[in-house]
Amino acid sequence: MLETIEQTKSGYRYVAALREQFGRAVQDESWQAPDQVTLTVDLNTLPAIVSWLYYQQGGWLAVVAANDERPLNGNFALYYVLSVEGNGSEPAQNSDKCYMVVRGLVPPYQPEFPAVTPHVPAAVWYEREVRDMFGLQPVGIQDERRLVLPDDWPEDLYPLRKDTMDYRLRPEPTTENETYEFLDIGDEELVQIPLGPLHITSDEPGHFRLFVDGEHIVDADYRLFYVHRGMEKLAETRMNYDQVPFLADRICGICGYAHNVAYANSIERALDITIPERAHYIRTILLEVERLHSHLLNLGLACHFVGFDTGFMQLFRVREKAMQMAEVLTGTRKTYGMNLIGGVRRDILKDQRVQTLKWIAELRQEVTSLVSILLETPYIVQRTQNVGRLEPQVARDYSPVGPTLRGSGFDRDIRVIHPYSAYDRVPWTTSYKDGCDVLARTLVRAEEFFTSLSLVETCLETMPEGPILVEDFQYKPYRFALGYVEAPRGEDIHWSMLGDNQKLYRWRCRASSYNNWPPLRYMLRNNTISDAPLIVASIDPCYSCTERVTVVDVRKKKAQIIPYKEMERYCRERKDSPLKT
Amino acid sequence: MVLKLVQELFKVGQATVPYPFQPVELAPGFRGKPEYNPEQCIACAACTIACPPNALSMETDLETGRRIWSIYYGQCIFCARCEEVCPTGAIKLGSDFELASFTREDLTVRAEFELAACSLCGVYFASAKQLNHVLALLDQAGLPPAEAADRRALLTACPECRRKIDLPRVKPLAQEAFNDRLQH
Ligand code: SF4
Ligand code: SF4
Repeated sequence: MLETIEQTKSGYRYVAALREQFGRAVQDESWQAPDQVTLTVDLNTLPAIVSWLYYQQGGWLAVVAANDERPLNGNFALYYVLSVEGNGSEPAQNSDKCYMVVRGLVPPYQPEFPAVTPHVPAAVWYEREVRDMFGLQPVGIQDERRLVLPDDWPEDLYPLRKDTMDYRLRPEPTTENETYEFLDIGDEELVQIPLGPLHITSDEPGHFRLFVDGEHIVDADYRLFYVHRGMEKLAETRMNYDQVPFLADRICGICGYAHNVAYANSIERALDITIPERAHYIRTILLEVERLHSHLLNLGLACHFVGFDTGFMQLFRVREKAMQMAEVLTGTRKTYGMNLIGGVRRDILKDQRVQTLKWIAELRQEVTSLVSILLETPYIVQRTQNVGRLEPQVARDYSPVGPTLRGSGFDRDIRVIHPYSAYDRVPWTTSYKDGCDVLARTLVRAEEFFTSLSLVETCLETMPEGPILVEDFQYKPYRFALGYVEAPRGEDIHWSMLGDNQKLYRWRCRASSYNNWPPLRYMLRNNTISDAPLIVASIDPCYSCTERVTVVDVRKKKAQIIPYKEMERYCRERKDSPLKT
Repeated sequence: MVLKLVQELFKVGQATVPYPFQPVELAPGFRGKPEYNPEQCIACAACTIACPPNALSMETDLETGRRIWSIYYGQCIFCARCEEVCPTGAIKLGSDFELASFTREDLTVRAEFELAACSLCGVYFASAKQLNHVLALLDQAGLPPAEAADRRALLTACPECRRKIDLPRVKPLAQEAFNDRLQH
């Protein structure tokens, strides 16, 4: 870690301004990279500092990591990670963007901290998660419900504390029933009519509750995390730091490689490892191949949900080429298992390059014609325009990421803001749209698909020769840093701290959907029920998706659970409303 | 629009293959089932340490002097770390991916190895095949007979006894190299 501040570091001017404003609250400053700084501040001033960085200095909340540092310094630590990008008062330059991490220490004898959520809504899930996993109470959060832990999890068992439990422990359920309290927006008790539990969109577990007035959505609430896999704990206790890339792959069935690169970057940054140029290019190529298949999947699903199944089939047919590309380049249909700390494991040889370039040309031609057919279908535009609006102000407050944010007029892409791999070595441009609706998000994806094709092409053609892996580095205890990647659905970010035993002391990995879920509520409001699956699909969520929908009619004071198939059918056909039963 | 789509569809023709009635074509370098050859394996444990999901494991019984190497394919993620670290090429990824089975047992492969006893105190300390492998490397090195004998004495002793052997006779650096070899 670099201990001194130099004027050349990007982010320096924010640190200086922050010191001027909050001088005495800043207790320590350490730089993990020229554009990454961690400031330890007085806990009581932390919300003011985070909110000042967020709203005054163009900050976006990337992740909040809690860490049980009692064995190290006697306290719990909270790390609020913000990407600070300037407030527009100065000419925006890349060098002026940085990750600022605001760290506060929470003493174990008083396990609480002043919540940032009342000032910056984007912090809400993070602070609820910190309460679940570490037992630290965010003071000032209205929502007292659990976020991550199941309802039948024992009180006072905080999984990520170092002294709590072995990763294999499965505590006995403490209750038979689901006790999660959904928001109650009417004042009288609502009657529920269960019609059967099932899924919305992508067949993954989650529980939605839509509050409706007739067919019109007034508000929404959802419970997720039914399949929390405890990966952070697993990595911290069972795996060596150089095995974790293979686990990071499995965070997601779509953007697994993005997580892998984000993790590897965090460790490479923490250990000051410079990886070979060629490895940067190979990582970039594989990341874009991943985006190709992810965006085609989402475009396909968009067709499906508006009832245009032929489009769905065709997009999935061409998607196969992207999958084969992955197979040829990595040896698996998923881009799994390609990284080690220090570079990549498999080179791209001439045959693979030639084959990939051929598929790229075919994909470009086929998808161009499919997308134009899609957009010429009047029905598609009708169903998606002005539906599921994410207003720019809501976006600003909640820090959503990826196409979800870029569909609401923000030109914010981590590949440009905080370049990694080879993204600052090849020419390309970002995509964003002002529509704020499902259509805008879909169009962003369509454009990005073609950008990815060009990126793969350019990288294949211009990648330098040379080694692909460095192995002569040393594990250094307790170093920590951030790693980040613009995955197909937005920024994935990892905060990793090494231990002293070839393991990780703490691994906080945050997938893109985590930041896109909280604002979904606002996207659902003021739409009709038949659009709900479409809106949910438009953020392309990773639920690791949704088990059932409960619809609560606020006027009739009546709740009913609608099976997935029915919901999906209604979204596609838009007749015979399931509510009229 | 519909016309364009129909044209597109005719152009494509059939996109699917009649798998499983016809084999699928795999990319060269496809990572499938790790194939293991116990003949070549020296039970050095390098693969079991590297394997991220613990699909590979090694049980050592110091009483009976036996070591059991095993792979459970149900847990394998086909990452090829084992292939990467194996010093003898005993484990290599093939292209087989049809691993479905009715019993767990079918997904497990085991191999048993003998341990070598220390030439001085008689305690089991390393895989016999691994030791022979290292001794063979020593023979190939063509060292002067006296030095070779010294090294042989060191290699056939357990770590405990090795420490007790008169160290100054052996160049310290050379010794480090031995230990290294033994461990890998
Ligand atoms: S391929 Fe990977 S997971 Fe499978 S046995 Fe080898 S190291 Fe283990
Ligand atoms: S690394 Fe190779 S030689 Fe060593 S135990 Fe594994 S398979 Fe056998």
